[in-house]
Amino acid sequence: MALKIRKKRIEAPAASRPRKAKFQADLAPAEDRTVRSLKEELQLASNSDFLSDAVALFRWAVSERKLGHRIISESASGERQVLLFPRLERVAPDSSLPRVEIKWTERQLESLAKLASAEDANHPTDALIRAMRE
Amino acid sequence: MAIVIRRLKESDEVENFDCADDALDNYLKRHAWSNQAKSSIGVSYVAVDEGAPRTVLGYFTLAMAGVPRDAFPKKFVRGLPSYDLPLILLARLAVDRRFAGRGLGHALISEGLRISLRVADEVGCRCVITDAYRDRVAWYARYGFVPIEGGVETAPQRMFLDMRTIRAAFRS
Repeated sequence: MALKIRKKRIEAPAASRPRKAKFQADLAPAEDRTVRSLKEELQLASNSDFLSDAVALFRWAVSERKLGHRIISESASGERQVLLFPRLERVAPDSSLPRVEIKWTERQLESLAKLASAEDANHPTDALIRAMRE
Repeated sequence: MAIVIRRLKESDEVENFDCADDALDNYLKRHAWSNQAKSSIGVSYVAVDEGAPRTVLGYFTLAMAGVPRDAFPKKFVRGLPSYDLPLILLARLAVDRRFAGRGLGHALISEGLRISLRVADEVGCRCVITDAYRDRVAWYARYGFVPIEGGVETAPQRMFLDMRTIRAAFRS
């Protein structure tokens, strides 16, 4: 089925109203059934309403991921599942990229130079000794 | 629980990993495998239970890095070797919060430091560096990491652990 959304043509001066876009999509039979089922469940009368609600939901999801927020579903018993949608992950902030190129301030470089050039290294702590022995 | 720490595999289950920190969760889910297998810029090691060997309970990532000698202020290079300073970056370390408090963090950092020492013995490396969240500074300090002064106060605290200290711990 082709999902067609047609808007009534209303006569008005072209300059005063923005032009409405027409959207057409080819759906596989399974997707078509899903759309029909969702429209029924959500009591949506038209494809336009369906698309409008879907866009609103998608726009919200994109804005949340852009802020770095996770989208989570939580069951009545408290079990949580995180939504992982590859296209949404593309808009997530890149703060999680590895910092192999390390940025240093002048004072950090001074501090590092002092630590690295120390004649004697610190004695290992008990926790470090345990860590290396295990 | 019998914990095994090994290199991350592509087939590992990471989707449900939740350490309550988005950046650390997302790194494991989005970047760890490609950085290891494709880019070869960092290697991630995961803690798994032998009973469910694909489910990641915790992980850490190691990467090589360095500071060019001419980046150091001139009056501080005197005690340094005449070359760039090679270092290992402990870039990530996280434990799934459902498994917190069971010693996984200790197991992970122990393995990370043992690997770092092996690498240093094989190819040479001066220290291990990490950027610790402010509330985790004391935890890293327990293992001998010392703060590198001069960072931005709101940013993670950069910390330093001398390879000689790690080696001394191994030999003691």
